[in-house]
Order: sequence, then structure tokens, then C-alpha cells
Amino acid sequence: MAAAPDAAEAAEEAGHRVKPPLTPKLVRWFDRRLGGARLARKTLDKVFPDHWSFLLGEVSLYCFVVLVLTGTYLALFFSPSQATVTYSGSYGPLRGVEMSEAYNSAIRLSFDVRAGLVMRQIHHWAALLFLAAIVAHLARIFFTGAFRRPRELNWMIGVTMLVLAMVNGFAGYSLLDDQLSGTGLRVANAIILSIPVVGTWVSSLAFGGPYPGPDMLQRLFVAHVLLIPALLGILIAVHLALVVRHKHTQFPGPGRREDNVYGQRFWPTYTAKAGGLFFLVAAVLAALGGLAQINAIWVSGPYRPADASSASQPDWYMGWADGGLRLMPPWEIRAFGFTVPNPFFPGVLLPSVVFGILYLWPFIEARFAHDDVEHHLLDRPRDHAVRTGIGVAAFTFIAIMLLAGSSDVIATTFGISVNAVIWILRTVLLVAPPIAGLVAARLCVEVRRGEGG
Amino acid sequence: MSEPTVGAAPPPEPKPSRRPPTTRLPAAAFLLSIIAALALAIVYWQGGQPQAEGILLSVALGGIGVGVIAWAHRFLPPGPDVEERPLTASSDEELERLDRELIGSEEEIGRRRVLVRLFGAALGALGLAALFPLRSLGPRPGRGLRTSPFTSGDHLVTEQGERVRPGDIAADGVITVFPEHKVSDADASTLLIHLRPGQNRPRPGRDDWSVDQLVAYSKICTHAGCPVGLYQAQRGLLLCPCHQSTFEVADGCRPVFGPAARSLPQLPLDTDDGGYLIAGGPFSGPVGPAFWDQLR
Amino acid sequence: MTGRLRPGAVGFGALVALAAVAFAISYAHAQDAGGGARARDPALVERGRVLFQTGCTSCHGVEGQGTDQGPSLVGVGAAAADFQLRTGRMPLAVSGKQAVRKPPAYDDAQIDALVAYVASLGPGPAVPDVDVGQADVVTGGQLYRANCAACHNAAGTGGALSYGHNAPSLLQATPVEVVEAMRTGPGQMPVFGPDAISDEEAADIARYVTGELQHPDDRGGFPLGATGPVPEGFVAWIVGIVVVGGALRWIVRGHHV
Repeated sequence: MAAAPDAAEAAEEAGHRVKPPLTPKLVRWFDRRLGGARLARKTLDKVFPDHWSFLLGEVSLYCFVVLVLTGTYLALFFSPSQATVTYSGSYGPLRGVEMSEAYNSAIRLSFDVRAGLVMRQIHHWAALLFLAAIVAHLARIFFTGAFRRPRELNWMIGVTMLVLAMVNGFAGYSLLDDQLSGTGLRVANAIILSIPVVGTWVSSLAFGGPYPGPDMLQRLFVAHVLLIPALLGILIAVHLALVVRHKHTQFPGPGRREDNVYGQRFWPTYTAKAGGLFFLVAAVLAALGGLAQINAIWVSGPYRPADASSASQPDWYMGWADGGLRLMPPWEIRAFGFTVPNPFFPGVLLPSVVFGILYLWPFIEARFAHDDVEHHLLDRPRDHAVRTGIGVAAFTFIAIMLLAGSSDVIATTFGISVNAVIWILRTVLLVAPPIAGLVAARLCVEVRRGEGG
Repeated sequence: MSEPTVGAAPPPEPKPSRRPPTTRLPAAAFLLSIIAALALAIVYWQGGQPQAEGILLSVALGGIGVGVIAWAHRFLPPGPDVEERPLTASSDEELERLDRELIGSEEEIGRRRVLVRLFGAALGALGLAALFPLRSLGPRPGRGLRTSPFTSGDHLVTEQGERVRPGDIAADGVITVFPEHKVSDADASTLLIHLRPGQNRPRPGRDDWSVDQLVAYSKICTHAGCPVGLYQAQRGLLLCPCHQSTFEVADGCRPVFGPAARSLPQLPLDTDDGGYLIAGGPFSGPVGPAFWDQLR
Repeated sequence: MTGRLRPGAVGFGALVALAAVAFAISYAHAQDAGGGARARDPALVERGRVLFQTGCTSCHGVEGQGTDQGPSLVGVGAAAADFQLRTGRMPLAVSGKQAVRKPPAYDDAQIDALVAYVASLGPGPAVPDVDVGQADVVTGGQLYRANCAACHNAAGTGGALSYGHNAPSLLQATPVEVVEAMRTGPGQMPVFGPDAISDEEAADIARYVTGELQHPDDRGGFPLGATGPVPEGFVAWIVGIVVVGGALRWIVRGHHV
């Protein structure tokens, strides 16, 4: 940069001894061993467009980093064993109670390991925010059409990461073997059992036998700590590599074209802002981890298959599936001695359809919009009323199912009969998404008309 | 493809004059971070306290974040910069060169059809063999799913293992019981409910399944397996907390609301010579959530 | 004088013996279902009857035998009346809806009188004597999670039941109210009799409720209503949108040029 020689001259003039710049020495030390000075310069010069919504993916990435760091710490204390032990730690109301070693190690971590509770809470809040950031990022990609050619592969990688993150979150809080998460595992087993033909086999192989199975926690642990994070790590790397390859999309505007990128150079400004964002995200998670209690497992108690508590829900990102189970009318198919159980429809069929459409969306839209050219300029949501309408309808659908997952909490909070809540939401689920979609599409058209577009 | 060029974009319009940027905010942020980190170390050394740990860690991290970003805002080049973006797809020439490299392989595959098929079969067979370790993950799904946790003559016991007499449960009362030697079995929990006289309307063939107004039903919801723990005594309803399946106890625990599609299985009750409650036979149907061949 | 008991001493001893026997008999009677020694105080019962005539007969009948507006109170016992009156559930504000806790309509003396009257209508559970000081919080917690959490929630914040009913929050209950509710099964609540849950175990549960649940160990921070993943999800989204969203805008727009 131009500043260095001036500073050196000024210092010389002032009579100070001028230190030779360190940069050339460092650069040559690495170049002699790695080469690639040209590649390095090209990388530093890469331009990234500047819009707040382009940082959502980064927020989820930083949540993942926090999850790995805090998760590693937790894994040093947690024991995924179902062996029965008697609690003898410092939390009085549980002393002498029989529980699994897994639950015992989680209680010990929360009460007897210094900063253990904060680490656990940061980890859990990071998981909730991780999923929220992914969903927000997905929404941004969808509504701006950033999934269009050439980015369809990256979209599919992203959807895969969403599924993996959901599964890993569920596995993570189920490891603790507390009453709340144990109830959730029972429901998960019932959903697996409901798969026609092979359901009982998948359940027996996954759980190691009839529920709960002797190896349930051990396997969840391996999945949660090793298999899924490794997969996520690889997919994140590929995801980012593709972004570098395609270069980031940008909104239309003065000076911006399909064949350029208008924004800020990677080094130093973008790096500083991105790095700073990591620290800010980590700061938010640390504040939540210390100030907002989450998953107080000492209140829910150790898992007993014969007990359950009211207000039993999964974490929010699974709430829509639970809502589906609650809203589903009591239909079951029974024929020739075979059964397609009720949980199959909201628990297996519906998510398969939802994620199937999600995966294929870039190709579905390309086909129906007759548009498969390369796009690097984004749509503003109002520029594509059909896509925006469909997206709003889909999000409304999921949001209502998410609401249904809290049906009993809604009932208690607002003093409404839980039966009424379910009937109302069943109706709203069918009626609201198409209305919301049509209204959104209409709004797009109106706004564009107002702009003279 | 030409090297992407980075050039300065047309300069933005001059903004109204501001004070020149100072290092005050970033310096203060970093300083705050240092203090918070030191305080955090002290808190930890003194025994720790979750709220203090969280806040101090947050300030330590946030101070660095704010400082770095404020530094960038004030002193680093704001751009905007421009970079060329070539088309993703390669030129026709390059594509043809690649085609020529690969097309030979495609022709080879075409010529060696037998080999290709054998190769494919070999990979497939290996894949199949590799699946076999998965088979060891669990037993064949079988007896466990269909066997009633109670057999005729089994004593009903509490979670503590104590046998139960009919008089132990007050009118409008409910307790959870288990078969005597299977208290820890996940599907064994059973509700023992004391109905009011005249309340019970037994299903055909189940007139003698109750003892002294007591009826017993499986506690495992037939929807997704949660324990149906909420007994509304006045209305005679059992409510499952997970998805709000509701069962009418007096009518053989028939589902009246929610997603459950099958009644809770009923356990016939009897008493032994000592007056303790025993099972008069197995459950009236399979316990727990349904699966493909449950009814076969 | 040695060797012979004074007449006064004999008389005094006989009096003491008589008093002891009388006390023992009345104590034994006080433990029966009649509602205790106070129930036998005719003046108290009469005072209760008068209060009953003015405030309760429209729904419960002139002699507490019940009408279609309200159930019979014959045999519900002192515990039921005491529970309903002390928590203010009775008198019912709106007939047909679930009775809720509200400030009691009667003062302590009036409640004692009404309780004595209701107890005199027929034998039923007495007002329990609950000593949480000696109770075991560990057993209480285990019993609570096994029997009570399903309706009242693991944290005691209450839960939804069918058709507009709910299991209320336990965060304001006294130990006596907890045990009274268990023994009398108010509203939709089932009855947990002394042969299912002993008096000791009931006291353990009362200790757990009034101790751990009403004064929870919230060392993790704000408990967010102690209702689990639903409020936690809300907080994640709100913090995400407000705090993180705000940070993102600042990062992108905050340049000093």
C-alpha cells in the first residue's frame, strides 16, 4: 500500500531509525516453500459484494465454529453410557437417584465443573442460532433467486447441510438422557417404526433392538460428535469453494452487471469485517449462554419411559414436524393385515415431500420459468412474483406447523382449549398458505407497478 | 480466460464533511475486551459464576469484534472495488479439448461391455457384502414388539416393586403399575384407574376384566409411544402430553381426539388368593405405536 | 407424713389421669374422618351453617346435597372445603368454567367455620397436617415427576388438559394446599389416596413443590418461563433478528468515508 513508503520517509525525516518492513521477508519465506504469490494476490483482490443479507451464511458458519469449540470441551466430560449409576454429586434434590451415566455426567458437568454450565448453554444456544441463521440464509437465497444456474449444486449442498444440522441438533440434546429428550427419542422411534415394510428393521438396527436399545446413546454420540460434524465440515468447505469459484451474486444497481462483481476487496477490509463478525456472533452466544437458562435438565429429571411432562416439545427446528404429528387427523391405513401407521404421514411422507421439492427447486423453477441461463445478478423479491408467492406460502405452511408444535403451550398461555387450538390450526394450515402466497404475489406486482416497472 | 482486474470504481459522491476518524472507539473496545478477559480469569479462579462468566466472555469477545470492525470502518479502504466475472461455462474450444480426452474412455467402455458389466457386478457385490456389518447393528425385529408385557398371573407392582391391592387406589384415583419382574421394560407401564360405580362400559367380552371398579390400560400411547400420563378424573379422559391424543376410559380407552387411531390395549384384572391384583391374561391388543405388520 | 399418700395427692393424680384419658380419647377421635376436634365444636359448625346458607346454597343445595349447578358436598371432607376456600376457588366466579385461584372471599375465621360445617355433613378427608421440615426432597422430586409432572409440568408451571381445562400452576400453593389437592382431587384432578401415596410421601411432594419448584435453582440465568423449547426458540429468533441483524447492518453501513 502507498502508506508505507510515506511513513518511512516521514520517520526518516523526523530522525527516527526506520525499521525495514517485515512484509517482504514473510512473503518470501512462505513463497519459497509454497509458491503461489500470484494466486495469493488474486485471492486478496477478490471482490465481495456488500449487503447485510449476504452475511447470514457467515453467521451460520460462525455458529458452527462455536459449536465445534464448545462441543469439544463438553465431549471431554460427557459419557454416553446407559449404565445405571446412583447420583452423588452436589445437586441435592437428585442425590441417591438412579440414572444413566450419560445423565449423571451431564448433571456433573452443569453443577460440578467450573464454567461447565455456561459451556453447555452456549453450545445449546449456538445450535438454536445455527439453525435460525441457516433458515434465514436459505430464505435469502430463495427469494433473491441465487440458486439459479450455475449455483444449483451449491443450493443442494446447502439443503443437505440444513438436514444434517437438524438431525445433529436433535441427536445432541437427546444425548443427555433427560425426561424431555427421552420422550422425543420415543417419538422418533415411532416415526421410524411407521415406515412401511422396513420400519421395524430400521428401528431395530438403529437402536440395537427394541426401544430403547442398549446402544442408543452410544450411537447418537458417534453420529453427533464424529459422523455428522465431519460431513458438515466437508460440505462447508465445498460450499465455500463453490462460492469462490462462481464469485458471489450481487443485487442490480449502478455499475453492477452480470459480468462483474462490485463490492469490497477481500483483503483487508472484507477480512476484517468478517473476522469481526465472528467475534460478535461469539459474543452474542456467550451472553445468551450466561444470561438465559436453556434445557434445565435437573428439573426435567432423568429419563423414565413410564413418565412424561406436559409441555414436551422438541427444539424449535423440529417443532414443525411435531406440529404435523399433532395436527394430523387419526387416519391410519389398514389392509390385508398390514398397517401404514398414522405417524408415517406427517413424520416421513410430508418431510420427504418438503425436502424433495426443496432440493429440486432450482430445476423446477428453471423448467417452468423457461429460464436456464447463467444469473449473477439477483432478483429483488418483488421482481419475481410467482417465486415470492410460492415461497411465502411455503414458509407460512411451515410456520403454522411450527406453531402447532406448541399447541399446549399456546393453550395454557392464552387460556384457550387445546382442542380448539388444534382445530383452528388445522383450518389455518389449509387456508392461510395459499392466501398468504397470493397476497405476497399481488404485493410484488403492485410495488413494481408503483415503481413504474 | 483473462485475469480478473481489480480497479477502483467511479468515486462515490463526496459526503458532507465529518470529523476525521480517530482510533478512540476501536481502542476503547479493545481495552474493554482486555479488562473483561482479565476479570473472567479472576472469576474463574475464584470458583466461577455462570452469569458473570457469560457476560465477561461476551464483552471480551465483543470488544474484539467491535474493535476490528470499527478499525475497518475508519481506516481500511472502503472501496468500492470492481472485479471482472467471466462466464462460468468454458469456451467451446476448451470443451472440445476435454471431450477429446474423455471420449476415448467412453468408447473403451462401449467396446468392453462384458468387462464393464463384470466390473459393475464386482463393485455391487462388494457393496452388498459391505452392508452385512450393518446387519450386526441390531437383532431381527421380532418377539419383543409383539409380546404382551403381562402374562396371565403376573402380579401388578408399583415402580418400587410393591404388590397392589384393589383398596390401594381411591375412587377417581390412578396409579402406574408394572409386571412384577419387568419394572424397567419400556413398554410395560400400565395405568390402574378407579372408576366411579356405573361409569365403566366394558367392551363385549370384557365384563369380568375389572375388579372393584378398577380398570387397567396400557400407558404407552398407540400413536407415538409417549406415556399417557394425564388423567382427567371428572371427565374420565386420558390425555397424552405429546400430541394431545385423548382416550375415553369408560369406553375401552377409545380415542376421541387427536392423532391416535387405536384404543389403548386393556389388561384383564384378577386377584390372587392373598387379595393382590394380578393380570387375568395378556393385553387385549399390541402395546405401543403401530408398525407395518403389527396386526399379522 | 411418710408411708401414706395424702388425699390431696391422690385426688390430684386421679384428675391428671382422667385428663390424660380424656385427652387421649379426644385426640383419637380427632384423627378420624370427622374433620378433627374443631368439627365437633357446635358453635363453629353453626357459624359455618349460617355462612353456608348465604353464600353456597344456590349451587350446592340447602343441605349441601348438590343441585345441577354444583356437586354434593356430603362426604367431601374438611380438606376439600379448606382447599377450595383458601385458594379462593370457591365461591365460583363464573359457573361452568374451571375454578381458578383467586383472593379468598372469606377470612380465616369464616373459612374455619365453613370447613367445620362441610365436615359435619359426612365423613371425608381431614385437613392434613403437613410438616415439610422433616420431608425428603429427593423422594418428593421422584414422586412428583412420576405422578404430577404429566399434568402440572416438570417445573410446576401447569399444563393444558382437554376441552378448555388446565392443570394449574403450583407456584403459589402452600404445603397444606398441595396435600389437600392430592387427597380430594379438585376439578379434573384424580385422587391420590393415602394407600397410593402415604402421608409421608405426600409431605415429600409438598416439600419438593414448595421448595425446589417455587424457589428453583436457576443458576443458568433467566428461566424464560421454565416452559422449555418453546420460549427458547422464540428467544433465539428474537435475539437473532434484533441483535445479530442489527450487527449485520452496522457492519455493512458503518463506514466512515
